[in-house]
Amino acid sequence: MELFIQQLVSGISIGAIYSLLAVGYALVYSVYNFTNWAFDGFMAFGAFMAFTGITSLFMPFWLAALLSIVLTVILSVGTEKLAYNPLRVRKAPRLFMMISAMGVNLATVNIINLIYGGTFRKFPVDNLQPIFIKGVSIGRMDLMAGGISFGVLALLWIFLYRTKWGLGIRASSIDILTASLMGINNNAVAMIVFAITGVLSSVAGVFYGIKYAVFPMMGVVTIKAMIASIVGGLGSLPAAIVGSMILGILETLVSGYISSTYRDLFSFLFLIIILLFFPNGLMGKSSDEKL
Amino acid sequence: MGYINTIIILGGINIIAALGVAILTGYTGLFTIGHAGFMALGGYMSAIMAKEFNVPFPIAILIGGTFAGLCSFIIGYPAFRSQLRGDYFAIATLGFSESIRLLLNNTKTIGSIKLGGAFGYMAIPNHTTVLVVVIAVILSLFFMHMFVTSQYGKNCIAVSQDEVAAQMMGVNLLKTKMIALFISAFYAGVAGGLMAFYFAYLSPSFFTITKSSDLLAAVVFGGIQSLIGPVITAFILVLFPELLRSFAEWRLIIYGFLFVIVMIFRPQGLLGYVEMNFEFARVWWNKMFRRKQSGTQEG
Repeated sequence: MELFIQQLVSGISIGAIYSLLAVGYALVYSVYNFTNWAFDGFMAFGAFMAFTGITSLFMPFWLAALLSIVLTVILSVGTEKLAYNPLRVRKAPRLFMMISAMGVNLATVNIINLIYGGTFRKFPVDNLQPIFIKGVSIGRMDLMAGGISFGVLALLWIFLYRTKWGLGIRASSIDILTASLMGINNNAVAMIVFAITGVLSSVAGVFYGIKYAVFPMMGVVTIKAMIASIVGGLGSLPAAIVGSMILGILETLVSGYISSTYRDLFSFLFLIIILLFFPNGLMGKSSDEKL
Repeated sequence: MGYINTIIILGGINIIAALGVAILTGYTGLFTIGHAGFMALGGYMSAIMAKEFNVPFPIAILIGGTFAGLCSFIIGYPAFRSQLRGDYFAIATLGFSESIRLLLNNTKTIGSIKLGGAFGYMAIPNHTTVLVVVIAVILSLFFMHMFVTSQYGKNCIAVSQDEVAAQMMGVNLLKTKMIALFISAFYAGVAGGLMAFYFAYLSPSFFTITKSSDLLAAVVFGGIQSLIGPVITAFILVLFPELLRSFAEWRLIIYGFLFVIVMIFRPQGLLGYVEMNFEFARVWWNKMFRRKQSGTQEG
Protein backbone atom coordinates (compact mmCIF):
# COMPACT_ATOMS: atom_id res chain seq x y z
CA MET A 1 0.00 0.00 0.00
CA GLU A 2 2.86 2.38 0.84
CA LEU A 3 4.45 1.65 -2.51
CA PHE A 4 1.16 2.32 -4.25
CA ILE A 5 0.73 5.72 -2.60
CA GLN A 6 4.32 6.61 -3.34
CA GLN A 7 3.79 5.73 -6.99
CA LEU A 8 0.58 7.72 -7.02
CA VAL A 9 2.28 10.87 -5.75
CA SER A 10 5.10 10.45 -8.22
CA GLY A 11 2.54 9.89 -10.97
CA ILE A 12 0.67 13.05 -10.07
CA SER A 13 3.85 15.10 -10.18
CA ILE A 14 4.85 13.73 -13.58
CA GLY A 15 1.25 14.20 -14.71
CA ALA A 16 1.50 17.84 -13.64
CA ILE A 17 4.57 18.30 -15.84
CA TYR A 18 2.76 16.65 -18.75
CA SER A 19 -0.21 18.92 -18.23
CA LEU A 20 2.00 22.02 -18.48
CA LEU A 21 3.22 20.75 -21.84
CA ALA A 22 -0.20 19.59 -23.01
CA VAL A 23 -1.73 22.96 -22.13
CA GLY A 24 1.04 24.71 -24.05
CA TYR A 25 0.23 22.69 -27.14
CA ALA A 26 -3.51 23.05 -26.73
CA LEU A 27 -3.24 26.82 -26.36
CA VAL A 28 -1.30 27.35 -29.60
CA TYR A 29 -3.40 24.74 -31.34
CA SER A 30 -6.69 26.31 -30.38
CA VAL A 31 -5.71 29.79 -31.56
CA TYR A 32 -3.54 29.03 -34.59
CA ASN A 33 -4.64 25.54 -35.58
CA PHE A 34 -1.23 23.94 -35.86
CA THR A 35 0.98 21.86 -33.59
CA ASN A 36 3.89 23.87 -32.30
CA TRP A 37 6.59 21.23 -32.85
CA ALA A 38 9.20 23.74 -31.71
CA PHE A 39 7.83 23.28 -28.20
CA ASP A 40 10.07 20.37 -27.27
CA GLY A 41 13.10 22.37 -28.36
CA PHE A 42 11.94 25.20 -26.11
CA MET A 43 11.60 22.78 -23.23
CA ALA A 44 15.16 21.52 -23.60
CA PHE A 45 16.32 25.11 -24.04
CA GLY A 46 14.61 26.16 -20.80
CA ALA A 47 16.15 23.29 -18.87
CA PHE A 48 19.63 24.00 -20.22
CA MET A 49 19.40 27.71 -19.46
CA ALA A 50 18.51 26.98 -15.84
CA PHE A 51 21.28 24.38 -15.74
CA THR A 52 23.82 26.90 -17.07
CA GLY A 53 22.57 29.54 -14.67
CA ILE A 54 23.27 27.29 -11.71
CA THR A 55 26.50 25.62 -12.82
CA SER A 56 28.30 28.42 -14.71
CA LEU A 57 26.83 31.61 -13.29
CA PHE A 58 26.44 30.24 -9.73
CA MET A 59 22.90 31.53 -9.39
CA PRO A 60 20.50 30.30 -6.75
CA PHE A 61 17.81 27.99 -8.06
CA TRP A 62 14.98 30.54 -8.16
CA LEU A 63 17.08 33.09 -10.05
CA ALA A 64 18.23 30.49 -12.57
CA ALA A 65 14.62 29.42 -13.08
CA LEU A 66 13.62 33.04 -13.63
CA LEU A 67 16.45 33.52 -16.13
CA SER A 68 15.37 30.37 -17.95
CA ILE A 69 11.76 31.60 -18.12
CA VAL A 70 12.78 35.00 -19.48
CA LEU A 71 15.11 33.55 -22.12
CA THR A 72 12.61 30.91 -23.21
CA VAL A 73 9.89 33.53 -23.55
CA ILE A 74 12.24 35.58 -25.75
CA LEU A 75 13.01 32.51 -27.86
CA SER A 76 9.35 31.59 -28.15
CA VAL A 77 8.17 35.08 -29.10
CA GLY A 78 11.12 35.47 -31.46
CA THR A 79 10.21 32.22 -33.18
CA GLU A 80 6.68 33.50 -33.58
CA LYS A 81 7.88 36.73 -35.16
CA LEU A 82 10.48 35.21 -37.47
CA ALA A 83 9.16 31.77 -38.37
CA TYR A 84 5.37 31.73 -37.94
CA ASN A 85 4.21 35.29 -38.50
CA PRO A 86 5.35 35.53 -42.15
CA LEU A 87 3.50 32.29 -42.91
CA ARG A 88 0.38 33.33 -41.08
CA VAL A 89 0.24 36.70 -42.81
CA ARG A 90 0.36 34.84 -46.12
CA LYS A 91 -2.36 32.41 -44.93
CA ALA A 92 -0.08 29.47 -45.71
CA PRO A 93 -1.47 25.93 -45.31
CA ARG A 94 -1.10 24.29 -41.91
CA LEU A 95 1.39 21.78 -43.26
CA PHE A 96 3.83 24.64 -43.90
CA MET A 97 3.45 25.93 -40.36
CA MET A 98 4.20 22.46 -39.01
CA ILE A 99 7.27 22.08 -41.22
CA SER A 100 8.50 25.49 -40.12
CA ALA A 101 7.98 24.56 -36.47
CA MET A 102 9.78 21.26 -37.06
CA GLY A 103 12.68 23.26 -38.48
CA VAL A 104 12.87 25.46 -35.39
CA ASN A 105 12.83 22.34 -33.26
CA LEU A 106 15.62 20.65 -35.25
CA ALA A 107 17.77 23.76 -35.10
CA THR A 108 17.23 24.38 -31.35
CA VAL A 109 17.83 20.81 -30.26
CA ASN A 110 20.92 20.39 -32.40
CA ILE A 111 22.46 23.70 -31.40
CA ILE A 112 22.07 22.63 -27.76
CA ASN A 113 23.58 19.28 -28.72
CA LEU A 114 26.54 21.01 -30.40
CA ILE A 115 27.22 23.30 -27.45
CA TYR A 116 26.62 20.99 -24.52
CA GLY A 117 27.08 17.55 -26.03
CA GLY A 118 24.56 14.76 -25.91
CA THR A 119 25.37 13.48 -22.44
CA PHE A 120 22.84 13.12 -19.64
CA ARG A 121 23.44 15.60 -16.82
CA LYS A 122 22.07 15.62 -13.36
CA PHE A 123 20.24 18.84 -12.57
CA PRO A 124 22.32 20.52 -9.85
CA VAL A 125 19.85 20.83 -6.99
CA ASP A 126 20.49 19.70 -3.46
CA ASN A 127 19.45 16.18 -2.78
CA LEU A 128 16.51 16.94 -0.56
CA GLN A 129 15.44 14.37 1.95
CA PRO A 130 12.03 12.93 1.22
CA ILE A 131 9.21 13.63 3.66
CA PHE A 132 7.85 10.62 5.55
CA ILE A 133 4.14 10.51 6.28
CA LYS A 134 3.10 7.29 8.01
CA GLY A 135 5.91 5.37 6.37
CA VAL A 136 5.22 6.72 2.91
CA SER A 137 8.19 8.63 1.55
CA ILE A 138 7.30 11.53 -0.69
CA GLY A 139 9.99 13.36 -2.64
CA ARG A 140 10.11 17.06 -1.92
CA MET A 141 10.81 17.70 -5.59
CA ASP A 142 7.69 15.76 -6.54
CA LEU A 143 5.69 17.98 -4.23
CA MET A 144 7.34 21.11 -5.54
CA ALA A 145 6.94 20.13 -9.18
CA GLY A 146 3.31 19.25 -8.62
CA GLY A 147 2.58 22.33 -6.53
CA ILE A 148 4.24 24.86 -8.82
CA SER A 149 2.82 23.27 -11.96
CA PHE A 150 -0.69 23.50 -10.56
CA GLY A 151 0.03 27.04 -9.45
CA VAL A 152 1.06 28.00 -12.98
CA LEU A 153 -2.01 26.30 -14.41
CA ALA A 154 -4.27 28.10 -11.95
CA LEU A 155 -2.71 31.45 -12.88
CA LEU A 156 -3.23 30.62 -16.53
CA TRP A 157 -6.87 29.79 -15.86
CA ILE A 158 -7.38 33.10 -14.07
CA PHE A 159 -5.67 34.91 -16.92
CA LEU A 160 -7.74 33.23 -19.62
CA TYR A 161 -11.13 33.34 -17.94
CA ARG A 162 -11.01 36.37 -15.64
CA THR A 163 -9.17 39.08 -17.56
CA LYS A 164 -9.87 41.11 -20.64
CA TRP A 165 -6.70 39.86 -22.36
CA GLY A 166 -7.81 36.29 -21.73
CA LEU A 167 -11.17 37.08 -23.26
CA GLY A 168 -9.31 38.35 -26.33
CA ILE A 169 -7.39 35.11 -26.64
CA ARG A 170 -10.52 33.02 -26.22
CA ALA A 171 -12.28 35.11 -28.84
CA SER A 172 -9.35 34.62 -31.21
CA SER A 173 -9.48 30.89 -30.68
CA ILE A 174 -13.05 30.84 -31.93
CA ASP A 175 -12.50 32.99 -34.97
CA ILE A 176 -9.35 34.97 -35.36
CA LEU A 177 -10.63 37.11 -38.23
CA THR A 178 -13.85 38.16 -36.51
CA ALA A 179 -11.94 38.81 -33.31
CA SER A 180 -9.61 41.18 -35.10
CA LEU A 181 -12.62 42.96 -36.63
CA MET A 182 -13.93 43.46 -33.09
CA GLY A 183 -10.78 45.37 -32.23
CA ILE A 184 -8.59 42.64 -30.80
CA ASN A 185 -4.96 43.17 -31.74
CA ASN A 186 -3.89 39.98 -33.49
CA ASN A 187 -0.21 40.61 -33.04
CA ALA A 188 -0.63 41.23 -29.32
CA VAL A 189 -2.60 38.00 -28.99
CA ALA A 190 0.19 36.13 -30.78
CA MET A 191 2.79 37.67 -28.50
CA ILE A 192 0.87 36.72 -25.37
CA VAL A 193 0.07 33.19 -26.52
CA PHE A 194 3.68 32.46 -27.39
CA ALA A 195 4.95 34.13 -24.22
CA ILE A 196 2.68 31.85 -22.18
CA THR A 197 3.96 28.91 -24.22
CA GLY A 198 7.51 29.93 -23.37
CA VAL A 199 6.75 30.09 -19.63
CA LEU A 200 5.02 26.70 -19.70
CA SER A 201 7.81 24.99 -21.61
CA SER A 202 10.52 26.47 -19.43
CA VAL A 203 8.83 25.44 -16.16
CA ALA A 204 8.15 21.97 -17.53
CA GLY A 205 11.72 21.67 -18.78
CA VAL A 206 13.23 22.63 -15.42
CA PHE A 207 11.05 20.21 -13.46
CA TYR A 208 11.51 17.40 -15.91
CA GLY A 209 15.25 18.03 -15.72
CA ILE A 210 15.13 17.81 -11.94
CA LYS A 211 13.07 14.65 -11.96
CA TYR A 212 15.11 12.78 -14.57
CA ALA A 213 18.09 14.43 -16.24
CA VAL A 214 19.02 17.31 -18.53
CA PHE A 215 19.90 16.25 -22.08
CA PRO A 216 19.30 17.74 -25.54
CA MET A 217 16.74 15.16 -26.60
CA MET A 218 14.68 15.56 -23.44
CA GLY A 219 11.96 17.26 -25.47
CA VAL A 220 10.94 13.89 -26.90
CA VAL A 221 8.85 13.57 -23.75
CA THR A 222 6.44 16.06 -25.30
CA ILE A 223 5.05 13.14 -27.31
CA LYS A 224 3.54 12.08 -23.99
CA ALA A 225 1.93 15.46 -23.58
CA MET A 226 0.39 15.15 -27.02
CA ILE A 227 -0.76 11.61 -26.29
CA ALA A 228 -2.27 12.95 -23.09
CA SER A 229 -4.15 15.68 -24.88
CA ILE A 230 -5.56 13.14 -27.35
CA VAL A 231 -6.51 10.82 -24.49
CA GLY A 232 -8.26 13.66 -22.68
CA GLY A 233 -9.97 15.08 -25.72
CA LEU A 234 -8.66 17.38 -28.39
CA GLY A 235 -8.25 21.11 -28.15
CA SER A 236 -9.68 21.69 -24.69
CA LEU A 237 -7.50 22.79 -21.79
CA PRO A 238 -9.27 20.95 -18.91
CA ALA A 239 -9.36 17.74 -20.95
CA ALA A 240 -5.64 18.09 -21.61
CA ILE A 241 -5.00 18.29 -17.88
CA VAL A 242 -7.21 15.29 -17.09
CA GLY A 243 -5.52 13.26 -19.84
CA SER A 244 -2.08 14.19 -18.55
CA MET A 245 -2.97 13.11 -15.03
CA ILE A 246 -4.34 9.78 -16.19
CA LEU A 247 -1.31 9.12 -18.36
CA GLY A 248 1.18 10.23 -15.70
CA ILE A 249 -0.34 8.01 -13.01
CA LEU A 250 -0.80 4.96 -15.25
CA GLU A 251 2.73 5.31 -16.54
CA THR A 252 4.27 5.48 -13.09
CA LEU A 253 2.25 2.48 -11.99
CA VAL A 254 3.41 0.52 -15.03
CA SER A 255 7.04 1.37 -14.43
CA GLY A 256 6.68 0.61 -10.74
CA TYR A 257 4.90 -2.71 -10.96
CA ILE A 258 5.74 -4.09 -14.41
CA SER A 259 8.88 -2.71 -16.01
CA SER A 260 10.26 0.76 -16.57
CA THR A 261 11.71 -0.30 -19.94
CA TYR A 262 8.30 -0.64 -21.48
CA ARG A 263 6.84 2.51 -19.98
CA ASP A 264 6.97 4.46 -23.24
CA LEU A 265 5.62 1.52 -25.19
CA PHE A 266 2.73 1.35 -22.78
CA SER A 267 1.84 5.02 -23.31
CA PHE A 268 1.70 4.44 -27.02
CA LEU A 269 -0.43 1.30 -26.73
CA PHE A 270 -2.70 3.24 -24.41
CA LEU A 271 -3.11 5.91 -27.10
CA ILE A 272 -4.08 3.31 -29.70
CA ILE A 273 -6.58 1.64 -27.35
CA ILE A 274 -8.14 4.99 -26.49
CA LEU A 275 -8.38 5.90 -30.15
CA LEU A 276 -10.05 2.59 -30.97
CA PHE A 277 -12.69 2.81 -28.25
CA PHE A 278 -13.04 6.55 -27.62
CA PRO A 279 -12.25 8.21 -30.94
CA ASN A 280 -12.87 11.66 -29.45
CA GLY A 281 -10.86 11.06 -26.30
CA LEU A 282 -12.22 10.36 -22.84
CA MET A 283 -13.88 13.75 -22.42
CA GLY A 284 -14.66 13.91 -26.08
CA LYS A 285 -16.54 16.96 -27.18
CA SER A 286 -17.47 17.67 -30.74
CA SER A 287 -14.32 18.58 -32.56
CA ASP A 288 -15.56 22.10 -33.34
CA GLU A 289 -15.45 23.20 -29.73
CA LYS A 290 -12.20 24.67 -28.57
CA LEU A 291 -10.37 25.86 -25.48
CA MET B 1 35.28 3.13 -57.14
CA GLY B 2 34.11 1.46 -53.97
CA TYR B 3 33.49 4.88 -52.45
CA ILE B 4 31.36 6.02 -55.37
CA ASN B 5 29.43 2.75 -55.19
CA THR B 6 28.73 3.40 -51.52
CA ILE B 7 27.34 6.84 -52.29
CA ILE B 8 25.18 5.53 -55.12
CA ILE B 9 23.81 2.72 -52.95
CA LEU B 10 23.10 4.91 -49.91
CA GLY B 11 21.68 7.63 -52.15
CA GLY B 12 19.42 5.12 -53.90
CA ILE B 13 18.17 3.74 -50.59
CA ASN B 14 17.47 7.26 -49.39
CA ILE B 15 15.62 8.01 -52.63
CA ILE B 16 13.29 5.04 -52.16
CA ALA B 17 12.53 5.96 -48.56
CA ALA B 18 12.03 9.62 -49.51
CA LEU B 19 9.56 8.58 -52.22
CA GLY B 20 7.59 6.90 -49.46
CA VAL B 21 7.49 10.14 -47.48
CA ALA B 22 6.71 12.09 -50.66
CA ILE B 23 3.48 10.17 -51.31
CA LEU B 24 2.34 10.73 -47.74
CA THR B 25 3.53 14.24 -46.90
CA GLY B 26 3.89 15.69 -50.37
CA TYR B 27 0.80 14.30 -52.05
CA THR B 28 -1.66 13.37 -49.29
CA GLY B 29 -0.71 16.19 -46.93
CA LEU B 30 -0.13 13.94 -43.92
CA PHE B 31 2.86 15.08 -41.92
CA THR B 32 5.09 12.20 -40.82
CA ILE B 33 8.13 12.23 -38.59
CA GLY B 34 8.31 8.52 -37.93
CA HIS B 35 9.27 6.81 -41.14
CA ALA B 36 12.43 5.40 -39.59
CA GLY B 37 10.13 3.00 -37.74
CA PHE B 38 8.79 1.56 -40.98
CA MET B 39 12.33 1.28 -42.33
CA ALA B 40 13.29 -0.67 -39.23
CA LEU B 41 10.31 -3.01 -39.57
CA GLY B 42 11.01 -3.69 -43.24
CA GLY B 43 14.73 -4.06 -42.67
CA TYR B 44 14.48 -6.53 -39.80
CA MET B 45 11.69 -8.51 -41.45
CA SER B 46 13.49 -8.96 -44.76
CA ALA B 47 16.76 -9.75 -43.00
CA ILE B 48 15.06 -12.41 -40.88
CA MET B 49 13.36 -13.86 -43.95
CA ALA B 50 16.61 -14.12 -45.91
CA LYS B 51 18.85 -15.25 -43.09
CA GLU B 52 16.66 -17.60 -41.09
CA PHE B 53 14.25 -18.91 -43.71
CA ASN B 54 16.48 -18.76 -46.79
CA VAL B 55 13.93 -16.77 -48.75
CA PRO B 56 15.41 -15.45 -52.03
CA PHE B 57 16.60 -11.89 -51.67
CA PRO B 58 14.10 -9.97 -53.86
CA ILE B 59 11.17 -11.80 -52.28
CA ALA B 60 12.56 -11.14 -48.82
CA ILE B 61 12.63 -7.43 -49.60
CA LEU B 62 9.05 -7.48 -50.85
CA ILE B 63 7.97 -9.38 -47.72
CA GLY B 64 9.74 -6.78 -45.59
CA GLY B 65 8.00 -3.94 -47.39
CA THR B 66 4.60 -5.61 -47.15
CA PHE B 67 5.15 -6.27 -43.46
CA ALA B 68 5.96 -2.60 -42.86
CA GLY B 69 2.86 -1.65 -44.86
CA LEU B 70 0.62 -3.93 -42.84
CA CYS B 71 2.09 -2.66 -39.56
CA SER B 72 1.29 0.87 -40.66
CA PHE B 73 -2.40 0.00 -40.27
CA ILE B 74 -1.84 -0.26 -36.52
CA ILE B 75 -1.53 3.51 -36.41
CA GLY B 76 -3.34 4.30 -39.64
CA TYR B 77 -6.70 2.77 -38.84
CA PRO B 78 -7.28 4.28 -35.38
CA ALA B 79 -5.85 7.68 -36.36
CA PHE B 80 -7.74 8.06 -39.64
CA ARG B 81 -10.98 6.52 -38.45
CA SER B 82 -11.37 9.03 -35.66
CA GLN B 83 -10.59 11.80 -38.14
CA LEU B 84 -7.73 13.02 -36.05
CA ARG B 85 -6.38 16.25 -37.35
CA GLY B 86 -3.23 15.75 -39.38
CA ASP B 87 -1.05 16.92 -36.53
CA TYR B 88 -2.03 14.08 -34.30
CA PHE B 89 -1.32 11.55 -36.98
CA ALA B 90 2.24 12.90 -37.00
CA ILE B 91 2.44 12.27 -33.25
CA ALA B 92 1.18 8.75 -33.79
CA THR B 93 3.94 8.13 -36.36
CA LEU B 94 6.58 9.53 -34.01
CA GLY B 95 5.28 7.43 -31.12
CA PHE B 96 5.14 4.36 -33.34
CA SER B 97 8.69 4.73 -34.54
CA GLU B 98 10.03 5.32 -31.04
CA SER B 99 8.11 2.26 -29.80
CA ILE B 100 9.56 0.09 -32.55
CA ARG B 101 13.06 1.23 -31.66
CA LEU B 102 12.40 0.57 -27.99
CA LEU B 103 11.09 -2.92 -28.75
CA LEU B 104 14.06 -3.77 -30.98
CA ASN B 105 16.47 -2.42 -28.37
CA ASN B 106 15.04 -4.79 -25.79
CA THR B 107 14.40 -7.88 -27.89
CA LYS B 108 17.41 -10.16 -27.69
CA THR B 109 15.78 -13.20 -29.25
CA ILE B 110 12.54 -14.22 -30.88
CA GLY B 111 12.37 -18.00 -30.51
CA SER B 112 15.65 -19.17 -32.00
CA ILE B 113 16.31 -15.95 -33.93
CA LYS B 114 19.02 -13.85 -32.30
CA LEU B 115 18.04 -10.24 -32.92
CA GLY B 116 20.73 -9.04 -30.57
CA GLY B 117 18.79 -6.18 -28.99
CA ALA B 118 20.78 -2.95 -28.87
CA PHE B 119 23.90 -4.72 -30.19
CA GLY B 120 22.25 -5.24 -33.55
CA TYR B 121 21.29 -8.09 -35.79
CA MET B 122 24.48 -9.55 -37.25
CA ALA B 123 25.56 -11.58 -40.25
CA ILE B 124 22.82 -10.72 -42.68
CA PRO B 125 23.69 -11.95 -46.19
CA ASN B 126 25.12 -9.24 -48.37
CA HIS B 127 23.08 -8.80 -51.55
CA THR B 128 22.67 -5.09 -52.25
CA THR B 129 24.86 -3.99 -55.13
CA VAL B 130 24.80 -0.88 -57.29
CA LEU B 131 22.87 -2.72 -59.98
CA VAL B 132 20.23 -3.90 -57.52
CA VAL B 133 19.79 -0.40 -56.09
CA VAL B 134 19.57 1.24 -59.51
CA ILE B 135 16.95 -1.27 -60.65
CA ALA B 136 15.03 -0.81 -57.39
CA VAL B 137 15.08 2.98 -57.74
CA ILE B 138 13.86 2.84 -61.34
CA LEU B 139 11.08 0.40 -60.46
CA SER B 140 10.03 2.45 -57.42
CA LEU B 141 9.96 5.64 -59.41
CA PHE B 142 8.00 3.99 -62.20
CA PHE B 143 5.35 2.50 -59.91
CA MET B 144 5.09 5.69 -57.88
CA HIS B 145 4.63 7.70 -61.04
CA MET B 146 1.87 5.33 -62.14
CA PHE B 147 0.19 5.63 -58.76
CA VAL B 148 0.40 9.39 -58.60
CA THR B 149 -1.08 9.88 -62.05
CA SER B 150 -3.84 7.34 -61.43
CA GLN B 151 -7.26 8.06 -59.96
CA TYR B 152 -5.95 7.06 -56.52
CA GLY B 153 -3.16 9.59 -56.78
CA LYS B 154 -5.63 12.30 -57.74
CA ASN B 155 -7.73 11.35 -54.72
CA CYS B 156 -4.67 11.81 -52.54
CA ILE B 157 -4.04 15.29 -53.93
CA ALA B 158 -7.70 16.16 -53.40
CA VAL B 159 -7.48 15.04 -49.76
CA SER B 160 -4.37 17.13 -49.21
CA GLN B 161 -6.01 20.25 -50.59
CA ASP B 162 -9.40 20.15 -48.89
CA GLU B 163 -10.71 17.14 -47.02
CA VAL B 164 -14.29 18.31 -46.85
CA ALA B 165 -14.44 19.21 -50.52
CA ALA B 166 -12.80 15.90 -51.43
CA GLN B 167 -15.34 14.00 -49.36
CA MET B 168 -18.19 15.84 -51.06
CA MET B 169 -16.81 14.82 -54.44
CA GLY B 170 -17.07 11.20 -53.33
CA VAL B 171 -13.51 10.53 -52.22
CA ASN B 172 -13.40 8.00 -49.41
CA LEU B 173 -11.06 9.70 -46.93
CA LEU B 174 -10.27 6.64 -44.81
CA LYS B 175 -9.55 4.44 -47.82
CA THR B 176 -7.44 7.04 -49.61
CA LYS B 177 -5.34 7.81 -46.56
CA MET B 178 -4.87 4.13 -45.75
CA ILE B 179 -3.72 3.36 -49.30
CA ALA B 180 -1.28 6.27 -49.22
CA LEU B 181 0.02 5.16 -45.83
CA PHE B 182 0.38 1.54 -46.94
CA ILE B 183 2.38 2.48 -50.03
CA SER B 184 4.45 4.93 -48.05
CA ALA B 185 5.32 2.36 -45.40
CA PHE B 186 5.96 -0.24 -48.10
CA TYR B 187 8.56 2.00 -49.73
CA ALA B 188 10.19 2.75 -46.39
CA GLY B 189 10.25 -0.98 -45.63
CA VAL B 190 11.88 -1.78 -48.99
CA ALA B 191 14.50 0.90 -48.32
CA GLY B 192 15.12 -0.65 -44.90
CA GLY B 193 15.50 -4.07 -46.51
CA LEU B 194 18.03 -2.81 -49.04
CA MET B 195 19.90 -1.18 -46.19
CA ALA B 196 19.99 -4.45 -44.24
CA PHE B 197 21.41 -6.36 -47.20
CA TYR B 198 23.97 -3.64 -47.84
CA PHE B 199 25.39 -3.21 -44.33
CA ALA B 200 24.92 -6.93 -43.53
CA TYR B 201 24.09 -5.68 -40.07
CA LEU B 202 21.14 -3.86 -38.51
CA SER B 203 21.03 -1.92 -35.29
CA PRO B 204 18.10 -0.07 -33.73
CA SER B 205 20.34 3.00 -33.59
CA PHE B 206 20.10 3.33 -37.41
CA PHE B 207 16.46 4.18 -37.11
CA THR B 208 16.34 7.21 -34.85
CA ILE B 209 14.31 10.38 -35.19
CA THR B 210 17.30 11.84 -37.08
CA LYS B 211 16.68 9.39 -39.92
CA SER B 212 13.04 10.45 -40.05
CA SER B 213 14.05 14.12 -40.11
CA ASP B 214 16.44 13.41 -43.00
CA LEU B 215 13.63 11.86 -45.03
CA LEU B 216 11.28 14.72 -44.21
CA ALA B 217 14.02 17.17 -45.22
CA ALA B 218 14.35 15.52 -48.62
CA VAL B 219 10.64 16.00 -49.28
CA VAL B 220 10.45 19.55 -47.90
CA PHE B 221 13.46 20.74 -49.89
CA GLY B 222 12.58 18.73 -52.96
CA GLY B 223 9.07 20.00 -53.16
CA ILE B 224 5.49 19.26 -52.29
CA GLN B 225 3.57 17.26 -54.89
CA SER B 226 6.61 16.35 -56.88
CA LEU B 227 8.45 13.07 -57.30
CA ILE B 228 11.54 14.20 -59.13
CA GLY B 229 12.25 16.96 -56.58
CA PRO B 230 12.55 14.67 -53.54
CA VAL B 231 14.53 12.19 -55.66
CA ILE B 232 17.12 14.83 -56.48
CA THR B 233 17.30 16.24 -52.95
CA ALA B 234 17.35 12.79 -51.32
CA PHE B 235 20.45 12.01 -53.34
CA ILE B 236 22.04 15.40 -52.66
CA LEU B 237 21.38 15.05 -48.93
CA VAL B 238 23.38 11.80 -48.93
CA LEU B 239 26.11 13.24 -51.11
CA PHE B 240 26.53 16.50 -49.22
CA PRO B 241 27.65 15.19 -45.80
CA GLU B 242 29.99 12.80 -47.61
CA LEU B 243 31.68 15.66 -49.44
CA LEU B 244 31.91 17.90 -46.39
CA ARG B 245 32.82 15.78 -43.42
CA SER B 246 33.17 18.72 -41.06
CA PHE B 247 29.64 19.69 -42.03
CA ALA B 248 28.31 16.56 -40.31
CA GLU B 249 27.48 17.97 -36.90
CA TRP B 250 26.09 21.17 -38.36
CA ARG B 251 23.90 19.27 -40.79
CA LEU B 252 20.74 19.09 -38.70
CA ILE B 253 21.10 22.69 -37.54
CA ILE B 254 21.33 23.85 -41.15
CA TYR B 255 18.36 21.65 -42.09
CA GLY B 256 16.37 23.26 -39.31
CA PHE B 257 17.03 26.80 -40.47
CA LEU B 258 16.49 25.78 -44.09
CA PHE B 259 13.05 24.32 -43.19
CA VAL B 260 11.99 27.73 -41.92
CA ILE B 261 13.59 29.68 -44.78
CA VAL B 262 12.17 27.37 -47.44
CA MET B 263 8.69 27.60 -45.93
CA ILE B 264 8.86 31.40 -45.87
CA PHE B 265 10.46 32.11 -49.22
CA ARG B 266 9.85 29.09 -51.41
CA PRO B 267 7.25 26.85 -49.79
CA GLN B 268 6.84 24.76 -52.90
CA GLY B 269 10.44 23.57 -52.48
CA LEU B 270 12.92 23.02 -55.25
CA LEU B 271 10.53 21.49 -57.74
CA GLY B 272 7.17 21.76 -56.02
CA TYR B 273 4.12 20.84 -58.08
CA VAL B 274 6.41 19.75 -60.91
CA GLU B 275 5.32 16.34 -62.14
CA MET B 276 7.95 13.98 -63.36
CA ASN B 277 7.61 13.70 -67.11
CA PHE B 278 9.66 13.98 -70.22
CA GLU B 279 7.74 16.89 -71.68
CA PHE B 280 10.77 19.14 -71.22
CA ALA B 281 12.82 16.80 -73.39
CA ARG B 282 10.27 17.00 -76.20
CA VAL B 283 10.08 20.80 -75.94
CA TRP B 284 13.85 21.01 -75.94
CA TRP B 285 14.07 18.66 -78.93
CA ASN B 286 11.57 20.78 -80.80
CA LYS B 287 13.40 23.97 -79.96
CA MET B 288 16.76 22.66 -81.03
CA PHE B 289 15.97 20.75 -84.15
CA ARG B 290 12.45 21.44 -85.35
CA ARG B 291 12.07 25.12 -84.75
CA LYS B 292 9.59 25.73 -87.50
CA GLN B 293 7.01 23.09 -86.59
CA SER B 294 7.15 23.67 -82.86
CA GLY B 295 5.40 27.04 -82.87
CA THR B 296 1.95 25.67 -82.02
CA GLN B 297 3.12 23.44 -79.20
CA GLU B 298 5.06 25.88 -77.10
CA GLY B 299 2.27 28.31 -76.10
